[in-house]
Amino acid sequence: MARAGARKNKPKPQAADGQHIAVRMYNVGFGDAFLLTIPTAAGPRKVLFDCGSIKAAARPIGDIVRQIVDDVRDADGVPRIDVVVATHRHRDHVAGFESALWKDVEVREVWMPWTEDPTDPAARHIRETQSSLALCLDTAFQRQASAGGPPAAVAGWRELALNALSNDKAMATLHSGFRGDALRRFLPTKQPEQQTIKTDVLPGVIVHVMGPSRSETVIRDMDPPAGQSYLRLMDSTSLTVSPPDPFNEDWWMPLGDANVAHLALSDADRQAVDAVGQGLEPLVAVALDKAVNGTSLMLMLQVGDAYLLCPGDAQWGTWEAALGNPEWRALMRRTVFYKIGHHGSHNATPVEFVEHVVGRDFWAMASTTHVDQWPNIPRAPLLTALGERTTKIARTDRPQDAPSADFHVEPGLYIETKIPV
Amino acid sequence: MKRLETQYVLAQPARRPLKIFASDPMLGRTAGNRITVDVANEALRPGPQGARVEVIDYDGAHGRFYPPVNLDDPAILMEGGLDPTESDPRFHQQMVYAVAMRTIENFDRALGRTIELRQGGYPRLRVLPHAFHGANAFYDRRLHALLFGYFRADVTDPGPNLPGQNVFTCLSHDIIAHETTHAIVDRLRRYFLEPSNEDVLAFHEGFADIVALFQHFSFQALLREQIQRTRTDIRTPTLLVELARQYGYATGSGRALRSALDKPDAKLYRGVSEPHARGSILVAAVFDAFFNTYQRRIRDLIRIATGGTGNLPAGDLHPDLVNRVATEASRTAQAILTMCIRAFDYLPPVDITFGDYLRALVTADYELIPDDEFGQRGAMIEAFRLRGIYPTHVASLAEESLLWQEADHDFPPIPVETIEMLRELVFAATSFSQSLPPSASRRAEQAAQRAGGYSRTEEGADTDLSAEMAQQLYAYATANAERLLLDPARTIAVHGFHSVFRVAPNGRLLIELVVQFAQQDRTQADALGGIPLRGGTTLVASADGHVRYLIAKPLPSPKLDAATRREADARLERQRGYVAMCDATDARLAYADDAYLRQRMALRMNLSALHDGAV
Repeated sequence: MARAGARKNKPKPQAADGQHIAVRMYNVGFGDAFLLTIPTAAGPRKVLFDCGSIKAAARPIGDIVRQIVDDVRDADGVPRIDVVVATHRHRDHVAGFESALWKDVEVREVWMPWTEDPTDPAARHIRETQSSLALCLDTAFQRQASAGGPPAAVAGWRELALNALSNDKAMATLHSGFRGDALRRFLPTKQPEQQTIKTDVLPGVIVHVMGPSRSETVIRDMDPPAGQSYLRLMDSTSLTVSPPDPFNEDWWMPLGDANVAHLALSDADRQAVDAVGQGLEPLVAVALDKAVNGTSLMLMLQVGDAYLLCPGDAQWGTWEAALGNPEWRALMRRTVFYKIGHHGSHNATPVEFVEHVVGRDFWAMASTTHVDQWPNIPRAPLLTALGERTTKIARTDRPQDAPSADFHVEPGLYIETKIPV
Repeated sequence: MKRLETQYVLAQPARRPLKIFASDPMLGRTAGNRITVDVANEALRPGPQGARVEVIDYDGAHGRFYPPVNLDDPAILMEGGLDPTESDPRFHQQMVYAVAMRTIENFDRALGRTIELRQGGYPRLRVLPHAFHGANAFYDRRLHALLFGYFRADVTDPGPNLPGQNVFTCLSHDIIAHETTHAIVDRLRRYFLEPSNEDVLAFHEGFADIVALFQHFSFQALLREQIQRTRTDIRTPTLLVELARQYGYATGSGRALRSALDKPDAKLYRGVSEPHARGSILVAAVFDAFFNTYQRRIRDLIRIATGGTGNLPAGDLHPDLVNRVATEASRTAQAILTMCIRAFDYLPPVDITFGDYLRALVTADYELIPDDEFGQRGAMIEAFRLRGIYPTHVASLAEESLLWQEADHDFPPIPVETIEMLRELVFAATSFSQSLPPSASRRAEQAAQRAGGYSRTEEGADTDLSAEMAQQLYAYATANAERLLLDPARTIAVHGFHSVFRVAPNGRLLIELVVQFAQQDRTQADALGGIPLRGGTTLVASADGHVRYLIAKPLPSPKLDAATRREADARLERQRGYVAMCDATDARLAYADDAYLRQRMALRMNLSALHDGAV
């Protein structure tokens, strides 16, 4: 439990003193990078959740990486991280791993969602589908931009598509980079009883793996069944495939031919018909974005009496499964720290969780920034609803609002808080 | 009169034969796939352009037309229509016309009146068989048109199609029937496209599939072939019970788009929300009822054919038996389809649920055929029960408790003048008994607005209604608002009013009047994503004006009694919950602007055709 004396100390940006978990949220702009320093019987342990950005804030992601590597340097001068968690492969969560600096960082375990398992055919299928769709979309948006589509709008959608590209370089670091021979775990494992794991690397820490589920309905969100919905839309979009000629030239009749004069189709109606099947790329882009977010690793870390909920950018499918599991629901009620999902968007924090599950006075942190095309990230009503339950909220886009009794702000770099164990 | 001048000699043929693919081109020359159907003979201009439907072969992807077929061309008439082929656009036009007309005729017959398809400035429902490039087809209310797409079959997994071949959604009987049904349902109940609860769009989709499915059973050659092959167990996955096979295979899914078969599971109705998938539960329930009725009806035939054992011998069935079984199957299918369509007159005007539909099915069928000779009503109730579909506020699933509650005996009858006017209308009108020219109804509307209160423009123009009639009904509704469970403080809109003439199997003539009243509350529209909270009452009266049934979905109002008030409040809560559920799964919402947020439910309704599942 919290030591009464701990509160009045001014929070220090340095490693935990043994009774607190330090959560440091780097200001990456639009992205995530959280460093947790957890006190254990074997000394402090460091866990890094994600490192990426698609829109920098004060400093580019390269500077942030340098800062992280410095922050995890031990007394012997070697940077060490016990566990690196890559919640999902979106660029705003992994871009930082492209940096060459990571090859000097000693890592003991890397955790990724099961969809990243190179040996799992179902996982490979999901990855390939998502990446090729992202490529397709990118091509389509490029053409739209060069054809003079509204640049701002196109840029916003293209950003979503680019975010979902395979991010090979960063993923290579996660799969085979770092110093030392890190153990790679793909979670949850296929054995249902292992959804709660313990590891020697984090003695005394219990990790509840709440997602991504391997259930069919959740997978369908990541990989729509062939022949359905957005893949079909994409295939049928004339920007990537030129429309086939349904009939040969003998049958063609120009507009205004006298033979069809009685079959009136006003100009407005004709234009409406011409537009069918066009401009669907944004829909596909958001569907893909949701699909990749759906692969997010959702973890609850149990350290003593502290329950830290880190859902990545999990979407409703994962949340629904987790909230539907009575044991997990009970765990969620005890949440003392909540990493606000998906930069505070509407889709990643269910109303049910806020209104009926999570308690009061927990810590909540959102890594977010304003992007012109996405005015509802972060979503104001969500933050208001959270604000009615706790005052201990920090956002990277408004560091000045973080209550100074609970958070320490290092301007332009990070916001840190200490959570009693 | 000379013989040569009699109707007998002069009359035009009543029906026009036309060739179509019974299923779609994927089956090619499979027995029973290339068939001739007939539709009512009407004067046609090239298109075909008839009185209610016109085919406009405009290709938006290429900005060109394809030449319209002239079905009255003697060369084509002599052949009974063009032969089925994928490479001649004129055959495509012929097929969409034929299937759309057959679908419309099914509604005409079941509802006992001619469905009016005029809307706004458009005198006919328009059909564009090659409107766009894409694996989809949909009904567009604003264009008052059915738009069909074409696309290349999947290159890696095309099923029985050629990889990369052109696939035309307008050559699938099921897709045409499905989209035509959307248009008709939208015509009968305009608010059933507004997603006010989980069941509304699902009903639209499921019902459209039901119509497509049961039309399969009117194709005798196909039916006989399948009955022979399945040895009368038509539940085995076959052409009969699968929908849009070519589409399904061509899009790489390795199966038909949807099927009427399911494993009945009460949990599905609680858990499935995507409209097409949820609609499939309804389809499966109705098909289940059909199959049970069919089995009951052929049991004696099988016993006769097997010397009383009921066990069919090995080898082919006797063709006579196949013929008789096929006849029973197609009669049963027609009876079920008619029952499904007839239920429309007993549906509330807004906010339908599957449970409401079950009650409407039972009531409509009971009114026409009080004794359930073949047990099809019982089978229907049982099939719905198995799938966890219960109406709210009924004590049990017994037939009598599923019937809509009858109006009190002292309920104010519809005034005699109104009834008399109806009588005049019926005799005055010729082919379209419920409609007056739009100009007349506009005049009446202006007059009514001067008289105060009554407004239809707000709800969109409606030509089903004679002007004076609408005024009188409006006056009736205003005078009896509270008893009609309408909110007297709000505008009452009078929707489709029609009389229904039906002959029961026992020869009884059933005459009914059906009126829909609707109201809306826009104050919540922003919170509900751009869709107002709607209320309304469907009133069913007998020919003398005596009110038989009130099928109401009241708006919350202090005038309601406590129990009804609770129901009304619960309905608002349900709509809120449904919006929240849609929000939770809407990928767009995260990146949306405020305009999208305010209109999101309305936009989802427009997109539903494109967004998921398709077709």
